[in-house]
Amino acid sequence: MDWTPGNRRSSAMRREQNLALIGAVVTGAVIAAGLIMLLFARVNPDGAARLRGVMIDLLTPVWSVVRAPFDGIGRAVALGSDYIGAVSRAERLEADLAAARAELQRAAADRLALAQLRRIAAVREPGRRLIVTARIVSATSGSMARTALVAAGAGSGVAPNLPVIGADGLIGRTVEVGRWSARVLLLTDPASRIPVTIVRTGQAALAVGTNGPRLELRDRVGPDLPLQAGDRLVTSGDGGVFPPGIPVGTIVTAAEPARIRAAATPVGAAYVRIEAAWLPLPVTPEPTLPENTTPVPAEARRSGARAPAATPATPIAR
Amino acid sequence: MIGEIPPWRLLDPAERRQYWRGQWRLAVPAMTVLALIFVMTAPLLVPVPVFPQLALLAIFIWVSFQPGLMPPWLAFLLGLVADLAFAQPLGLDATLFALAAASVRLFDARHGYQPQLFEWRQVAIVATLFELGAWQLMALAGQPIPLPPLGWQLLTTIAAYPLVVALCAVVQRRSFGRGLVG
Repeated sequence: MDWTPGNRRSSAMRREQNLALIGAVVTGAVIAAGLIMLLFARVNPDGAARLRGVMIDLLTPVWSVVRAPFDGIGRAVALGSDYIGAVSRAERLEADLAAARAELQRAAADRLALAQLRRIAAVREPGRRLIVTARIVSATSGSMARTALVAAGAGSGVAPNLPVIGADGLIGRTVEVGRWSARVLLLTDPASRIPVTIVRTGQAALAVGTNGPRLELRDRVGPDLPLQAGDRLVTSGDGGVFPPGIPVGTIVTAAEPARIRAAATPVGAAYVRIEAAWLPLPVTPEPTLPENTTPVPAEARRSGARAPAATPATPIAR
Repeated sequence: MIGEIPPWRLLDPAERRQYWRGQWRLAVPAMTVLALIFVMTAPLLVPVPVFPQLALLAIFIWVSFQPGLMPPWLAFLLGLVADLAFAQPLGLDATLFALAAASVRLFDARHGYQPQLFEWRQVAIVATLFELGAWQLMALAGQPIPLPPLGWQLLTTIAAYPLVVALCAVVQRRSFGRGLVG
């Protein structure tokens, strides 16, 4: 050997130590960056909307093609549960039908009376407007958010915060929108809050998602009547997103907080209506400030000063 | 094999081409994780979050199989993709994946290779910490969620570990050779 290998080892060791140090620093920086991003998300929850739109545009087409086996599984499960307990369900349904017929006759009379009253009082109600009917393509069932993907996006006029309604009732509202796809926040998501009315008692409340199979009823106001299992909930129209009268669910446990079974599930090949927001927030024009009419002293005007810009001393209360 | 630069002047052009063509292997662990993130968005509409955290499992496994190819910063980037795919606040999975990769890497560097049953227990601990961390970080991001439903995901994640480890082992053998035996 015509060179001394002694120095090589220590330099390799030093190199390794340096690399380990750089690795540790990068790791720390990356974790800190993640935490800072979470804080940003707290301040601005709608951040990165463009990126999210691109992501769902990538996911949706694939699942809208590869969804057949999943539809099959869903239908098989539904079919099996249909057969179990079919007789008792038929008996119950017949009893319900008899009650419903009587209710229907009363409702027809009420509808007539309501139409007359509305005409007399000249009530004007905003109409519901369908934007697009689309198919639910996919859903995240392994994460912190309960959402579904819908195969219609900004190209069809879909925007964030629109009501999504299924055949049996409310599904949720849109939160992220891509070019050809949108993400729907389902009723079961912990961030979902639906203003509802309890049909029997007329109380107003919020149906809150729990990330589980049942919703919770919170913030009930109105007449002091106890709830019963089987009470139906419909949207109240408060908040301006969901049109009133859409079925939301049925109360299964009346104990506080009451548990709700959702009326509509996005299971299977479900088509949903995406409608325009019921009463979108009106665009408030910027308040025009009163003109500043304070006179400018003659001396100041002579030296070239102009009348000051209109700046009120106190902010205008809206 | 990976990461070591061969003595370049000793290679003939064909061998050099072969070396460059082999570079796709560097992306194999990340691609596996991306594929599993995609699988996690499958249209399985169940009322509770039951889908196992396949991406977390894959990151755990790749950190012990190929520590050089799953550094914490890569886990961070994969976590960002997961956040976008699952409509979570940006940074949730990114932070947790990076933390998981860093801690597993540290543990493996100190204590070396462990039998699979031990790794399974380790996965149970990491997954539990992951769910608790997700619960806390969601509150930090201003979207608090209830903790109990996450228990379902924890159970399925722990149960899915042998499956993901088998998958990653197949990928490892196909792309990086047969390992210690043979």
